[in-house]
Amino acid sequence: MSSAVVVPESGAAATPPRPRKSAIKRRRARSGVVMAAPAVVLVLLVLGIPIMQAGYYSMTEWNGIVAHWIGPSTYLNEFHNPQFWRVLLNNFLLLFAVPIAVAIPLGIAFLLNERVAGWQIFRSIYFLPTAISWVVIGMVALRFFAGEGTLNKMLAGVGLGFIKTDMLSDEHQALVAVGITFIWSMVGTNTVIFLTGMATLDPSLAEAARVDGAGSWKTLRHISLPQLKRFIQFAAVLTLISAFTALFSLIFVMTGGGPGYGTTTLEFFVYQSAFARAAFGTGAMLGIILFVIMVFVGLAQLRLLRTED
Amino acid sequence: MSTPTIAVAPLSTVETPSRRKRKQPLRSALIFLSMVLIAIVMLYPFYFMVDTSLQSNDQFLHGGGHSLDSWSSLNSALPWGRQMVNSGIVCAFAIVVILIVSSLAGFSFAKLQFRMSTFVLLGVVAAMLIPVQSIIIPVYVNVAHLHLLNTYVGAVIVYAALGTPFATFLMTAYYRSIPDDVIEAGIIDGLSYSKVFLRVALPLSVPALITITVLQFIQIWDDLLVGLLFLQNPEQRTITVALGALAAGRTTDVPVLMAGSIMSAVPAIAVYLVFQRFLINGLTAGIGK
Repeated sequence: MSSAVVVPESGAAATPPRPRKSAIKRRRARSGVVMAAPAVVLVLLVLGIPIMQAGYYSMTEWNGIVAHWIGPSTYLNEFHNPQFWRVLLNNFLLLFAVPIAVAIPLGIAFLLNERVAGWQIFRSIYFLPTAISWVVIGMVALRFFAGEGTLNKMLAGVGLGFIKTDMLSDEHQALVAVGITFIWSMVGTNTVIFLTGMATLDPSLAEAARVDGAGSWKTLRHISLPQLKRFIQFAAVLTLISAFTALFSLIFVMTGGGPGYGTTTLEFFVYQSAFARAAFGTGAMLGIILFVIMVFVGLAQLRLLRTED
Repeated sequence: MSTPTIAVAPLSTVETPSRRKRKQPLRSALIFLSMVLIAIVMLYPFYFMVDTSLQSNDQFLHGGGHSLDSWSSLNSALPWGRQMVNSGIVCAFAIVVILIVSSLAGFSFAKLQFRMSTFVLLGVVAAMLIPVQSIIIPVYVNVAHLHLLNTYVGAVIVYAALGTPFATFLMTAYYRSIPDDVIEAGIIDGLSYSKVFLRVALPLSVPALITITVLQFIQIWDDLLVGLLFLQNPEQRTITVALGALAAGRTTDVPVLMAGSIMSAVPAIAVYLVFQRFLINGLTAGIGK
């Protein structure tokens, strides 16, 4: 599970001024600084400063030991690199997995929310893969999609043996296999998010709609879904973030980024550039590009939440 | 804005009244059937792992039969005992660091406003937007400069820092839900702020601490990238990294890999089964308002 990007409740920190001795206030502020310091220092040292270092090194030629300053032209050079666009295309294609990875769990959550006997057990089963490493998921998926794998056995079993697939050996289909595995992995997380949302719904609204003669579909479309909007957005953003920043292990195990650049996404490209090709400067730059994309995602999420209030 | 941000989902308590489905056994049966089908899809990998691990490589490749070959040769391919201990050490220390720094900071941000504290909190929380891949190269070089590569310390620091922003966010939200009066009462009684934190606030926040522990345990236990780079010696490798390395080494002995996968997954699944509720709380903590 990647940690979700969430919007801090800013502003709530402003406590109304109280008639207090300023000595106590000062003592409180001093304790506050001391107690916040360890977390701030840790985050600064391992996240804050390195992201700035990455910004600097992205404009150098760097082998990990010696860095030669080149300047912003490194970015322009990379933008002329067809491989870079190939990789970015993969990220773009992964976007298509996001609505599916949201819609399927939404449907499942509606099923569970009917609270038919045993629904809690099913919820636990669906959520179980959340505990499993992408490494393990990737290993099983590798065998599922393999030429002699389960998928082909299943196809043969239902008389579709002529569609013999070998998705992972095909430069274009491999990403589809990764995408399907990703969607499967998100089912538990997103289902639980929607179930949480449904628990907050006001049942009397749906009841009223039914009394007024609205069918199941209409009730769902016009009553339940709008009420779940915030949860759908949250799940979509979480899924998007996962697709762009949490698939390293899955790709590492399933395809190693191949065939060719077939499944190399930006995050995997960072690793490949730095640790397989020793192009640390390029790796740092790709990391910065990924960071900028995530900042835009974060800002978009903020806007979405704002407009709703 | 003063409501607690942690959406503690009343998952099992809400029983919607007057379900009209009561008299529709066919509908219920169809829903049940769909849920069973979905469960099969979700459980298939677990079945595959167990079934495959109970075959020899020859049986796996050419079909038929079961044996315990892969389990008896597992330890030589993947010294899982040692690696699980490594995973345990890294998880334990990283989680302890995360719990200490995030509870302290959360208490500070929620209850001890100092100048610019909102701004600082925003900075810490915004660090969640930084993908690991964006900082991993400079961090790797920095850790190498400090001669902490291939030491538990290096990996623990990196894991701890990666987990701190979200944990701090969670703790801040949690402490905000505790009334100020509770804290002030302690101060009026003559306690220092650190004493109030230790004796009053910390005990109240045990559920949030458990949530963080469970989330981070699963995250760190299952992680590949950081371990792959910062713990390259086989002696310090975590189980997940060892498994990833074994898989990437084009090992063709799938049953052994599956046996290893099961071993690596057992602790995380156990934690999941026991603390499921806390995991769900942590997951949905970001949505609440």
